[in-house]
Amino acid sequence: MENWIQHFLLKAGATALAGLLVTPVALAQETESTSAHRIDSEVLDLGVTAGVVNIADFNGEWALGVSATFQATENFFLQYNFLQADSSPSAYENNQGRLFEGSDRTFRHYDLLVGYKVFQGELFASEGRARLSSLYAVGGVGETRFGGEENFTTTLGVGYEAALTRDILLRIDYRAHLYDSSLIADEERSVTSNQMSAGLSYLF
Amino acid sequence: MRRWFFGVTLALIAAAPLGAVADEEGKASYLQLEVIDPYVDVRSGPGRGYPIFYVIEQGEKVDVLTRRPGWYEVRMASGRTGWSSASQISRTLQTTGEPADLPSVSYGDYLASHWRVGFNSGQFSSGELQSSDTFSFLVGYRPLSWMGLEAEVGKVLGAEIKGELYSVNVLIEPFSDWRVSPLLMVGRGNLSIDSQPKLVPLEIGDEDFNQYGLGLNYYIGRNFVLRGEYRWSEVDTDDNSESLEVWKIGFSTFF
Repeated sequence: MENWIQHFLLKAGATALAGLLVTPVALAQETESTSAHRIDSEVLDLGVTAGVVNIADFNGEWALGVSATFQATENFFLQYNFLQADSSPSAYENNQGRLFEGSDRTFRHYDLLVGYKVFQGELFASEGRARLSSLYAVGGVGETRFGGEENFTTTLGVGYEAALTRDILLRIDYRAHLYDSSLIADEERSVTSNQMSAGLSYLF
Repeated sequence: MRRWFFGVTLALIAAAPLGAVADEEGKASYLQLEVIDPYVDVRSGPGRGYPIFYVIEQGEKVDVLTRRPGWYEVRMASGRTGWSSASQISRTLQTTGEPADLPSVSYGDYLASHWRVGFNSGQFSSGELQSSDTFSFLVGYRPLSWMGLEAEVGKVLGAEIKGELYSVNVLIEPFSDWRVSPLLMVGRGNLSIDSQPKLVPLEIGDEDFNQYGLGLNYYIGRNFVLRGEYRWSEVDTDDNSESLEVWKIGFSTFF
């Protein structure tokens, strides 16, 4: 049955590739009535993020990440994030020895979020130049990998976005990642890792 | 290895629209429209918060440069550019006299031959994975207004369970022009479950499954949909088959 799926995926891939190759030809043949396709759509931005993540029961660590944001409507957007941080020994570990080693010490988190721009307006950082800005709230789901655990994570946060230029966006975020962990206790308990970060994004 | 699958999928999605934009920029001529409404407001930016600085009068011709969700950037005869809301600018004529075919008319039915991305999340409500959480990343393409194809890459995470799943689904949405529209789903995929942190004997290991689903699409905006769904799947295990039930909620956007 594995073969059936591989076959299907291969076929789907080939179809998609054929579609990509055929599309420009199809576009060229289009009449005036469908020329709305010629309009450049600005809906996707890709960015990098840097900040601090306070790993639950461990230390605050420098973190780096990437994000992709799809603007769905004027108010709603979908965002995918990946964030990674290396953890130093916690105070407990300095005393008692490390609880885990190697790649388990890397905090990895990714999430799929939906965002809503609560307040949209103009930012006047310098006189005579208005920049589009907004305060937004995000919520979503994801996964946190740390200490050999893989945990389902609920993410909530707020952020501020300002357009530095037509194509470059600055985002400042606070996010809370909520998940269940049993790293330092025998019983699972709910913990929160907080993230404060700033990011730059390019709007395509 | 599987973890890279997410990254690769994401990179592919990210790369796809880039190619499309490059193709479009190759064409220098812009779409020219004639305003047939009494007037169209022009704002300084693509948002309600921006001030109106110009009003296009009836019969005036404008070039359409850029689209952002809900807004179009237009260039007036004077050469100045500004932003008009999609709902206003969509009531315009092309220079040929035909109505403009801007993708801003109805809810789902204009989405034929459009791509979509999104995610969903839910919880298993029966079977071996009961009360485990799951979330998935989705990529879809809709060749017909009432039929779509969707690929899904997801995770299953529980207190003692971790796993990955991927599937390919066909979505049938007969009334896609309704704001709230029912849909039917049939698909096939693969599910790979491990126990964490300790060893718990599980019936489901690395298995294929068939799934069937019923859902409801709610078009919050023209390019944004909220989907609630119930799925029932039949997993082929070594000896027999296990059935799973899951409730999901998710968001998708189209472009």
